[in-house]
Amino acid sequence: MRQFSILRLTLKLVLVVLILLLVVGPFVGIVLWSFARIWYWPSPIPQEFTLRYWSEVFRQGRVLNSLTLSLRIALITVVFSISIAIPAAYAFARYKLPVERILLFLFLMPQAFPQLPVFINLARVFGRIGLRGNMWGIILAHTMASLVFSLWIITATFKSIPLDLEQAAQNLGASRFRVFWTITFPLGIPGIIAGAIHVFLWSMGEFNAAFFIGAPFIQTAPVLMYTASAGYNMQIASVIAIILMVPSLLFMLIIEKFLKAEYIAGIGG
Amino acid sequence: MRRRREVLVGFLLILPALLVLAVLYIYPLFLSMYMSFTVSNRFSLANYGKVFDIYWRDVVYSVMISLITTFATLVLSVLISGYLRFKNWRFLDLMYKLPLFIPFLIVGHAMRVFLAPHGTLNNLLTRILRIEELPGLSRSWIGLVWAFVWIMTPYATLIVLGAFKSLDSAYIEAAQNLGANKVKIVLDVLLPMCRPSIMVAFILTFVRTISSLTIPIMVGPASPNMITVSMMFRVNYFNDWGTANALGVVSYLIVMVFAIYYLKFMAAERGGIKA
Repeated sequence: MRQFSILRLTLKLVLVVLILLLVVGPFVGIVLWSFARIWYWPSPIPQEFTLRYWSEVFRQGRVLNSLTLSLRIALITVVFSISIAIPAAYAFARYKLPVERILLFLFLMPQAFPQLPVFINLARVFGRIGLRGNMWGIILAHTMASLVFSLWIITATFKSIPLDLEQAAQNLGASRFRVFWTITFPLGIPGIIAGAIHVFLWSMGEFNAAFFIGAPFIQTAPVLMYTASAGYNMQIASVIAIILMVPSLLFMLIIEKFLKAEYIAGIGG
Repeated sequence: MRRRREVLVGFLLILPALLVLAVLYIYPLFLSMYMSFTVSNRFSLANYGKVFDIYWRDVVYSVMISLITTFATLVLSVLISGYLRFKNWRFLDLMYKLPLFIPFLIVGHAMRVFLAPHGTLNNLLTRILRIEELPGLSRSWIGLVWAFVWIMTPYATLIVLGAFKSLDSAYIEAAQNLGANKVKIVLDVLLPMCRPSIMVAFILTFVRTISSLTIPIMVGPASPNMITVSMMFRVNYFNDWGTANALGVVSYLIVMVFAIYYLKFMAAERGGIKA
């Protein structure tokens, strides 16, 4: 019996090490690269460490500019996306509409079909009206693409609020508008915040639209990361990768208890 | 009268979102179809001719890579979900979700460092196996599938595990009373009963794989390419929007059957849940 448990423990330990290697392993290399000055094979760690590349993040220059640009795009996208999604989500959650299925189809389509051709054609259209190579072009594309998933998160939030509360207020003579502002909206705030953070993180890390619409004048952080990585500038690429990755990991850890697949469609990029 | 007013208000609430979708999604979508049939402002099939001449290998390759990725992802998801349905192992529960929100581009870069000939993985393996050199997996189809599976598994597992957990325990207990072991229960009870959710996991994984651009440009081989990479080259190096759009339409056609199943299923699900 005891031998059996020792065997099981060993097995579990091997499994833990294997999972760590597969899941966390890919992060180890980029963390080391971000501090490396000189790193030649076959040394397992860099020969010389430096903080130079991390300090570039805070000094005026390419990295800082691209990060602040991404930050501005993401913040404005959140405001647009969430403020358009809230009324639509409320309608989906509380109103019975005749062509609801068709509307659902339309709003689910971006998840069911590849998005790259849409971004490429948006870049072409924006080129004609002066929105290409322009921050606002990227913001518009990000608003559209993130609307689809912020809408579902907020719809699910509103649906989970008990109807009795709203009906009670209505029976006391409150208008529908007032019911929404005093009851539904405040109770929905946690879900709305989760949706906002999700949109923010997605926009910060989005590459396709930022690359085709931002070209040739502006570089968001992911586009700069791609350029650095393609040019074998591993340190700059890794520093940006870590900056974009850490908030995503933290967000996952905070909301993982409430994660449900239907809330978070359309992740990645 | 009241009903009519309610419908009107409902539509007005959805209108801004609908406008954004119509102008920024539906319009470019139709534009891509229109452009794919146009050469110098005239109707032509020449773009599709180019796709079949130059890119047929890339199309086949994309479908193959996406299928292999999807099957590997589903096997992993079912394994993890099956385990977590019966046992509450917090470590695994956390680990499978870790990559969930990480942007694809960063996964591409991290995997490139991890799977390179002189990367983290080989650094470890050469030490353990005591050999000088190992070939790298990055820039090969195996590395590409590896990166894809790594990033697709969390979401697929979330779907499959959600379905497993929402299934009534009575079915499982009944099977256990009849002497079925856990593996048999997963294969003969959970899988058949959760087929729709597994289909959705399959479809979403397939679509997300075949439409990803960032992971193939970071870790994929130089040739053959995924369709998305060919699209990017067509636009960036040749300024040839016609062929790029024809490739886009081909990718729509590949996912068409799946997409329709997914849309029908989701519309039924979402339309069916009314508070």
